[in-house]
Amino acid sequence: MSELLLLFDLLLTVTLLVLATAAIMSREPRRAVILYIAFGLLLALVWARLRAPDLALAEAAIGAGLSGALMLAAARRATAAKRQHASQPGTKGETS
Amino acid sequence: MTDAILIVILILMASVAAGLVRVAIGPTPSDRMMAAQLMGTSGIAVVLLLANVVEVTALIDVALIFSLLAAIAVTAFTRRRVQDNEE
Amino acid sequence: MNVADPLNWTAIVLMGTGAFFFVAGSVGLLRLPDRFSRLHALTKADNVGLGFIILALMLIAPDPFHAVKLALIWLLVVFAGATGAHLIAKRALRNDGEDSR
Repeated sequence: MSELLLLFDLLLTVTLLVLATAAIMSREPRRAVILYIAFGLLLALVWARLRAPDLALAEAAIGAGLSGALMLAAARRATAAKRQHASQPGTKGETS
Repeated sequence: MTDAILIVILILMASVAAGLVRVAIGPTPSDRMMAAQLMGTSGIAVVLLLANVVEVTALIDVALIFSLLAAIAVTAFTRRRVQDNEE
Repeated sequence: MNVADPLNWTAIVLMGTGAFFFVAGSVGLLRLPDRFSRLHALTKADNVGLGFIILALMLIAPDPFHAVKLALIWLLVVFAGATGAHLIAKRALRNDGEDSR
């Protein structure tokens, strides 16, 4: 039993680290946000594994759900504003 | 019994890790969102199975929040942009 | 927990079936060529895979209250999954926002 549980812990940790790295290294905002939501899901799994259901609840509801939805909206507005800004003549140099 | 549940959990985690590849490479944002949704559903299954392994029955509520989260994330993702309608 | 109990065997078989559907969903998500077929693979894994696993857990649930709660979770997932799949498909069909990444 303990070996299988250890294997599960190992798989969870490696997946979590890969997800965190991918979310930080990602260049487009929307991709980063979706990776962040997946990261929050797996972090809630870690809290569940550590027998902390209250922390898992908070992480899933606030960390992944609410801030994920808010950041998706923010990323959408950011790309739209950037495109609008870039389409206006003369201001192209200011957008990065 | 616990061993069997743990093996099922491991299979599900491997499937989540495989779905992660689609999140990373997915050509369109829709693909990424789909993979994230599959991860959410697998997460519900893993939490429910884990509730039997570590014997914490309160984890059922965590699974409930997971299923709400999936709906909220997909709805937030598919909302139309406001700026486009004004142009 | 007694392994020779037929209830436990049924639960294990149901769990295995659910895991198979999840694996099939992941493989479909990785291998299928276009967006809509991937969506099709995803919804099967969501509804049927989780359905089998929840059925197995309902069999070994400690009391009836938990079994009912599990069934309600599955119902919520089915509704959310159907709505989400519909929204994603509609958005992909209109090509709404796909080009502005």
